[in-house]
Amino acid sequence: MFLDRLLNQGSSPVLDQWLRFTDARQRMLGEDIVNASTPNYVQKDLSLEQFQSLLAKKVAEQDEAGPGGVSFDDISMDIQHPRRGMLFHDGNNRSMDQLMSDQAKNALMHSLAVEMLREQYSMMEMALRERVS
Amino acid sequence: MFDILDMGASGLTAQRTRMDTIAGNIANINTVLDANGKANPYRRRFVVFSPGQAGDPSKPGVHVQSIQMDQTPFNRRYEPGNRYADKDGYVNYPNVDLSIEFVNALEASRAYEANVTMMDTAKSMFNSSLRLLV
Repeated sequence: MFLDRLLNQGSSPVLDQWLRFTDARQRMLGEDIVNASTPNYVQKDLSLEQFQSLLAKKVAEQDEAGPGGVSFDDISMDIQHPRRGMLFHDGNNRSMDQLMSDQAKNALMHSLAVEMLREQYSMMEMALRERVS
Repeated sequence: MFDILDMGASGLTAQRTRMDTIAGNIANINTVLDANGKANPYRRRFVVFSPGQAGDPSKPGVHVQSIQMDQTPFNRRYEPGNRYADKDGYVNYPNVDLSIEFVNALEASRAYEANVTMMDTAKSMFNSSLRLLV
């Protein structure tokens, strides 16, 4: 119970969800990249804006309910089919530049979340050791 | 998360097969005889991709669904002295257009690079996630 509360307060659950999102999005973007030459393949993606709004809603609920009062695990998102590229003659709407830049941004967001989570864990570890070093 | 690497590998295999097909087309650009020595020009091949992995299409990825023959007419050249010319003096040459093959080769090469980059990015994401454990 204590550990559960400890791990489910502050930004830890938010960062955890952030990692899950970037992982799932990388998978989608990867699938789009490998299918860049597949006829009639329609690109898939997860909306960053939708994820952020869902996360913000959960954070607001958590602020009201207190630490550990809200579960972040039930965030679910629909797969979207963005029309970011022109439709080619083979029926594929690839946009390689957009895909590559999206996956680079996604990887950076993942790294950012990992670094912040590491920082959280190291602070927790420091508190558990009761020593600053 | 490791299935991203399998997915990338399926993309690499598919693009390599595409490149092999293009190489075969270019190598046979002047082939007018078949394996039995008869006048039967080489017909251009092209790959058709389909989503899903080769062994299991339900897994995300891509695979070569088929290698098809281009049914466009052969290139006809007027070579009356050629022993394989028809009664009008024309010889059928493969329906391979070098500029189309080069463009396709370039696209396959770029797609291959994109797959490698995607796998590299996924790998760096694994590594950064693993750093949470140490």
